[in-house]
Amino acid sequence: SVQAHKEEDNPQKTMEVNGLTPVLDSYDYDLIVIGGGSGGLAAAKEAAKYEKKVMVLDFVTPTPQGSSWGLGGTCVNVGCIPKKLMHQAALLGQALQDSRKFGWQFTEEVKHNWMTMTESVQNYIGSLNWGYRVALRDKKVTYENAYGEFVGPHTIKATNKKGIEKLYTAERFIIATGERPRYLGIPGDKEYCVSSDDLFSLPYCPGKTLVVGASYVALECAGFLAGLGLDVTVMVRSILLRGFDQDMANRIGEYMKEHGVNFIREFVPIKVEQVEEGTPGILKVTAKSTAGDQMIEGEYNTVLLAIGRDPCTRKIGLDKVKVNINEKTGKIPVNDEEQTNVPYIYAIGDILQDKLELTPVAIQAGRLLVQRLYAGATTKCDYVNVPTTVFTPLEYGACGYSEETAVEKFGEENIEVYHSHFWPLEWTVPSRDNNKCYAKIICNIQDNERVIGFHVLGPNAGEVTQGFATAIKCGLTKEQLDSTVGIHPVCAEV
Amino acid sequence: QVRGYPEFVRTAQSYHGRPIFALFCGDKDAEGKSWCPDCVTAEPVVRKELHNLPDESVFIYCLVGDRAYWKDPNNEFRKNLKLTAVPTLLKYGTPQKLVEEECFKAELVRMLFTED
Repeated sequence: SVQAHKEEDNPQKTMEVNGLTPVLDSYDYDLIVIGGGSGGLAAAKEAAKYEKKVMVLDFVTPTPQGSSWGLGGTCVNVGCIPKKLMHQAALLGQALQDSRKFGWQFTEEVKHNWMTMTESVQNYIGSLNWGYRVALRDKKVTYENAYGEFVGPHTIKATNKKGIEKLYTAERFIIATGERPRYLGIPGDKEYCVSSDDLFSLPYCPGKTLVVGASYVALECAGFLAGLGLDVTVMVRSILLRGFDQDMANRIGEYMKEHGVNFIREFVPIKVEQVEEGTPGILKVTAKSTAGDQMIEGEYNTVLLAIGRDPCTRKIGLDKVKVNINEKTGKIPVNDEEQTNVPYIYAIGDILQDKLELTPVAIQAGRLLVQRLYAGATTKCDYVNVPTTVFTPLEYGACGYSEETAVEKFGEENIEVYHSHFWPLEWTVPSRDNNKCYAKIICNIQDNERVIGFHVLGPNAGEVTQGFATAIKCGLTKEQLDSTVGIHPVCAEV
Repeated sequence: QVRGYPEFVRTAQSYHGRPIFALFCGDKDAEGKSWCPDCVTAEPVVRKELHNLPDESVFIYCLVGDRAYWKDPNNEFRKNLKLTAVPTLLKYGTPQKLVEEECFKAELVRMLFTED
């Protein structure tokens, strides 16, 4: 009969009438994480704990110089980890010099071998890459070394290095694609210059190096290269360490200058030419003053660009799923639950707008997000009072407000700054600087002299700062600080 | 199959240029049973995955020595190959390795053999 025929044609409709919802195609995965860095891996591993079906896509587009790396993201491969190891290599060089004053005797000249250091560092990084792959496989997280991009709602295309494309669907996505170094956009930049993406695996000693930029990446790299005995020049467009407490930034710069790093201030490169091929070769850099028409030239073995990093959000198909990004910066705005404007798409890590670009922040955000999604948690990531450390030759640890920002927010009359120089005991015997190490705290007078900013410039700044960050989180006041007995003799007692 | 550090090194060197995978286990007694219980568990799992080894690659099964030798913190395997435990399954010359219970998992063994 006609009615029976109709029912066969529209089984779905019949089911609706009966009160049953139509069965949707189920998704391939509960969660797909795009980006296998600090944030992405933390989120993926956490989701696997709750027995979710998770996929991680990680892909490194090689640098213009051809550098690439394994699973783990920037921090592990071309960031924090190799940076700190090379910083340590430089510190050990200094320690060797100091050791003579403490009685160690050696007649040989102490020289540094770049290849030995780089091989050891890369070997360690390799073990971390492998460790992540074992961890993911063990937790049954699917990992593909493929470039992920959205092609439609809930759908992603993954392209591996052989060009093979596969489509996957998921209920939810976390974008954790991170950033890559910015280039200057001048003739010769991509052909001849290197970035931090290349530096830590450079298969030859960089030699006489020009570092362009005044970011912490620029200063940290310039710092350890100089510490290893290389001739280093830093070309700065305007100020050092934008966004950081400027008094501290200037002290860092002064220290580096006094310890052999050359600075060229208020110049920007306008072209890089190759004078001689080689590993390293010789490059000629022409630069123009930002304060006039003056032009200068210089020759270097290596030019390292460290002028900033740009989010990897422009070519991942965000327009296909209508995720808003800041068109100018490429950063993704999210709410306080790391959700983009598209409810099933989240974002974490360096790509977030107005959030700190730090590994522990990305990890924390990733873990808490997943706990909220799958474990009924409600805790949100706390982006306030996050401690940081810059590993320049004289290390700088900070937590909370810079002096400028505190003045701006609370008014100069409402803050009190307590500060002090200190001379680490270990520096006395080898006659190292007695007036460079420095610490200051910024207090809010109107709130019981609550400590709202902590800054320390000296050895082991990171180790010193960590504990104070917790104290600040607990509402540390000046009185509590004063009533805490110091450990002697350590830098932190100041 | 080799026994002891010098024999291992000689054998690995003779295959220079080819990918080398090695499984390190404690010595076996007259009945063929190792003093290392984890090695007893791992060996069949690893052997079952050998058919996944890439072409051109070599698999070396290496007995490290007796329990006393292994416990010595200065034995050559610990010092030169940086082994921390037996059983260890590794891809020679790379940081890729599986240690102890990791060797019990066929999935991980297969990943070590087949993926870059």
